[in-house]
Amino acid sequence: MMTMRNLLLLAVALALLVIVPPFLGLGWQNMLVNVLIASLFALAFNLLIGQAGLLSFGHAAYFGVGAFAALHLMRAIEGGLPFPTPLVPLAGAAAGLLIGLIAGYFATMRSGVYFALVTLAIAELFHSLAPQLEGVFGGESGISSMRMPWNGIVFGSMLEVYYLTLAWVLVCGLALWAYTRTPFGRLTLALRDNEQRVRFLGYSAHTAKVIIFTVSAMLTAVAGSLQAISIETANYSLFASNVSAQVVLQTFVGGSTVFFGPVIGATAFTLFSFLVSDLTRSWVFYQGLIFVLVMLYVPTGIGGVIQHHIHNRRQLDWRNMAGHYVLAFVGALLLTAGVVFLTETVAVLFGEDYAMVRHNAEGGLPPFELFGASWNPTGLLTWLLPIVLLIGGGALLIRARRRISTIWDRKGPSNATATEPLLAGGAK
Amino acid sequence: MTATPTTQTALRLAAITMSFGPIEVIKGVNLDIRAGERHAVIGPNGAGKSTLFNLISGMFAPTSGEIFLNGNSIAGLSPHLINRAGLARSFQITNIFHRMSVFENLRIGVLARHGVRYGLFRPVAGMRQVNEETAEVLARVGLESRGHDLAGDLTYSEQRALEIGMTLTTGAEVILLDEPTAGMSREETEKAIELIRTVTEGKTLLMVEHDMGVVFSLCDRVSVLVYGDIIATDTPERISANRAVQEAYLGEEAAS
Repeated sequence: MMTMRNLLLLAVALALLVIVPPFLGLGWQNMLVNVLIASLFALAFNLLIGQAGLLSFGHAAYFGVGAFAALHLMRAIEGGLPFPTPLVPLAGAAAGLLIGLIAGYFATMRSGVYFALVTLAIAELFHSLAPQLEGVFGGESGISSMRMPWNGIVFGSMLEVYYLTLAWVLVCGLALWAYTRTPFGRLTLALRDNEQRVRFLGYSAHTAKVIIFTVSAMLTAVAGSLQAISIETANYSLFASNVSAQVVLQTFVGGSTVFFGPVIGATAFTLFSFLVSDLTRSWVFYQGLIFVLVMLYVPTGIGGVIQHHIHNRRQLDWRNMAGHYVLAFVGALLLTAGVVFLTETVAVLFGEDYAMVRHNAEGGLPPFELFGASWNPTGLLTWLLPIVLLIGGGALLIRARRRISTIWDRKGPSNATATEPLLAGGAK
Repeated sequence: MTATPTTQTALRLAAITMSFGPIEVIKGVNLDIRAGERHAVIGPNGAGKSTLFNLISGMFAPTSGEIFLNGNSIAGLSPHLINRAGLARSFQITNIFHRMSVFENLRIGVLARHGVRYGLFRPVAGMRQVNEETAEVLARVGLESRGHDLAGDLTYSEQRALEIGMTLTTGAEVILLDEPTAGMSREETEKAIELIRTVTEGKTLLMVEHDMGVVFSLCDRVSVLVYGDIIATDTPERISANRAVQEAYLGEEAAS
């Protein structure tokens, strides 16, 4: 029954993904391409952390390798190689497989922190070598190419790129999901749970981890090559640690214990940066704040929270709870408003522009513009407003949270079993 | 003890030593386990029983000496190769996959026996033979009704039964059980003895056991390990009559 419902949900989502984009503007189409690429990247990354329990801090390496491999093939096609453009990501997959195999062989010799550090070091190796390798990575400026037409498809419009990306992400996502149902997929979970016991059951844990790492690197590289197709260029900044960090943030905020969690995280962050990055320069700060809050209060991520509610949907007193959820939402909104107001005020007051204004005003504190109004830096209202928002929102949220947790404690026994298909750790 | 191992010897330890730094924990152990027998290793705390198991099963490599499984040297091999050679072990501290279902805990080993260790191209749900055999083991250890529950949710004695079940799944003929009844009540112990008796039928069993009652009702022979050295190997009756053993071990326990 659960599976039926999931299938239906997937079908609806798929239909929307196919039907809606032609009606969107170029900016939104581009944003959706980025969402798809980030989703595949996060799904492939989560194969390691969510299923095998291996935290890689250097997945930018395989994303970048995929992008460069795709661009090299695209350049060859430009030069006359009769290779179908839609299959360019195969070059990324091949390169990711090879590099993942080599890097994975060494990285998976260790676990835990040491594994994370080795993956970080490998990515840094690429980051520092790439600008010097003119032939492979095009030096500091990187390499560029053009999408060549194939079989009447020009690949000139963003929409064509979108459908190509969608097809690849769906195929790879499906493959990753099928993976969880194979014997090796089950072994992957066993490794996360208890690597030692796996060894004593006749499995070479190292061999298994190398294979997992290679699969993850290969699909990460496919995501990288899709980005190369989309923006037709790549340079060494793809190997930067912030690319590696971004996928970690997205996966954990989305929920690494749920199969679709990383997709939720990738979508949320991509959408967030699309909507907010033009409005404020503090958006990276907000991103970090969201990550910290999620880790502190909902460590299973957005996906984990959703799954928890779905599992317990029959035991929960929804009628009683709805009001408190609305209250919690209002509280969170007020709190957010307070934080944003305070952050933006501080950003203005300590910014370069305001320093200039102050210079012109000979050291005084002239009023500043924010949210379409003028504020006096020494005015009571300027500081009272965010404080009221913070205290009011915080109080509301704490109160609602307490009520909600009482209702959760009162609910009947959970009907969650080890066989819920959504749960990566339990799919049978 | 340098004679070539005969076919009747399932497991042979020849002058095994093991040192952790300057401390020699195992001091030249010689031991022959006959094919098909149930053999217990007893000894006071810190005698090196668990270390001995870790050496045989490949967790550590011995400092010197040889270990033969069915005549083939296995000393220093990795655990997975020793398992594939036909030896499986359980652990003193329950060592299962807590976040997976009981059924899946057992299936991992069954898959290994069927050689689909790294299978990536077929769903496991469709592997009838594997799933049937898993269900069989599940029934043999008396956990039929718990198959879909998370292993971490089992009671202690159920987890111990699962632990034994997992040891059986890879199809090994030589089974090492490390204190299978530790921490169990009298009644649970009785059940565990029966379980071990039936599931090791026709196999070779080597077990570490503290409870002399268990040893008497289950084992054909007993070896006494004291300070890294085997001081006697004999039938349970004669071991309990042995003066040196009484002084070294049984007397100590009676006094405590």
